[in-house]
Amino acid sequence: MTIPSSRDLEQLSAYLDGQLSQSSRARLEIRIQSDPALASALEELRQTRTILRHTPQRRAPRNFTLNPGMAGIRPPVPRLVPVLSWASAVAMLFFIFTLGAGLVGQLSFGAAATSAAAPMVYGAGPLAAATVAPVIMAAPATAAPATMAPVVAAPAPLAPATAVPTSGSSNPPVANQTMLPAPTEQPSIMSVDQATPPAVARAFQSPSVPKALHKPVDLWLFIWPGLAVMLGASAILAWGLNKRAFQRKNPRG
Amino acid sequence: MICGDKIPLMDESALILNAQHGDLPAFNTLVLAYQDVMYNTALRILNDEDLAADAVQDAFLSAFRALNSYRGGSFRAWLLRTVTNACYDELRRKKRRPTTPLEPETADGDEVESPRWLADPHASPEESLEQAELEHAVQHCLDNLPADFRAVVILADIQGLDYSEVAIAVHKPLGTIKSRLARARLRLRACLQGFRELLPAAFRLEEQNSL
Repeated sequence: MTIPSSRDLEQLSAYLDGQLSQSSRARLEIRIQSDPALASALEELRQTRTILRHTPQRRAPRNFTLNPGMAGIRPPVPRLVPVLSWASAVAMLFFIFTLGAGLVGQLSFGAAATSAAAPMVYGAGPLAAATVAPVIMAAPATAAPATMAPVVAAPAPLAPATAVPTSGSSNPPVANQTMLPAPTEQPSIMSVDQATPPAVARAFQSPSVPKALHKPVDLWLFIWPGLAVMLGASAILAWGLNKRAFQRKNPRG
Repeated sequence: MICGDKIPLMDESALILNAQHGDLPAFNTLVLAYQDVMYNTALRILNDEDLAADAVQDAFLSAFRALNSYRGGSFRAWLLRTVTNACYDELRRKKRRPTTPLEPETADGDEVESPRWLADPHASPEESLEQAELEHAVQHCLDNLPADFRAVVILADIQGLDYSEVAIAVHKPLGTIKSRLARARLRLRACLQGFRELLPAAFRLEEQNSL
């Protein structure tokens, strides 16, 4: 009886698994019958293999399926979202357009005002289209007839104190920040268009433009920022929809 | 075959083809069919449930990404190669960051050899206790093998792959597989002798001449 060599053991192991060629198997079988050590080694290998084959198999503790996020697959976005995604770009265009229009408008208005010697003041932040404040026009007292009370604009008073009412209360305060109690025959600031003499009205626009045309200008100054804000909101909505769609496609856990 | 039998061969080919074209549900069907064999392989190599689960997840992910490199043959072997690689990566990491063993130690600092501490106190049936003891004995002996030998014997004897499949899974020639499997079996035999009394009667190793 000889101790099997490592070559023999390899042969025995392969024989056990049916991995030997026909001729090798026949030769080995003859040797196993004549050599108890080989037979014993073969039996030990067989027992070991039996134990290993009966090792309990566990179930996977969880499912290992992949979700699109893990696999790097982007979920399809809702059909509306790509359209809305352009809203931000369109909003920017509107903003630039509004800005440009505001500048042009201001320049032209300024020129007209200079020529008519009737300064006109926009409200706060005339360049910020999205936050355009209501345009406040202060009719300067210098241009007003002496019979009129001073007209004062509250946020940006430009009315100089040179205008002193000739009628009204007996001792009216001379202060440009103070709203004077207007005499009954005098117009208030809200009706400046009506109260302004034709000369002042001409100072706003060209002399031939009727006062009714002032309205569209004011309206557009609201419409453009309004559109920009709406488009901005659309862009935010698109972003929110996109995010929600992605989360729905890629649930956590 | 342990796991691939869940899917008929024709269906498996179709699923693989669809998955190669990015069909994730098709790939997930394959995942469900093979996750047990993948997990058991990783668990035996790593002997750590959490690390094994991580390795399996990584393996399926890398398998999906590399699916176009699959050119036919045993898909199970191809998949097991990804999990074997993931386990080797984990073992290398473990080597760099050694951790405290989970097994209880004696006062002298030696690990308790008996697997009895693993037994679930609620598992009264003798059979489940025997199974637990067998599992622990095998796992203990596997842990003492070099990683390359361990992977080969796990794939061949525990998962039932044939030599050519093992060769694909560990990316080694057939001759190397034969040699490693024979040596691994011999070393396991010697180790399992130490658990002779604890093994179920059906698997009790008889006293033989040591090789």
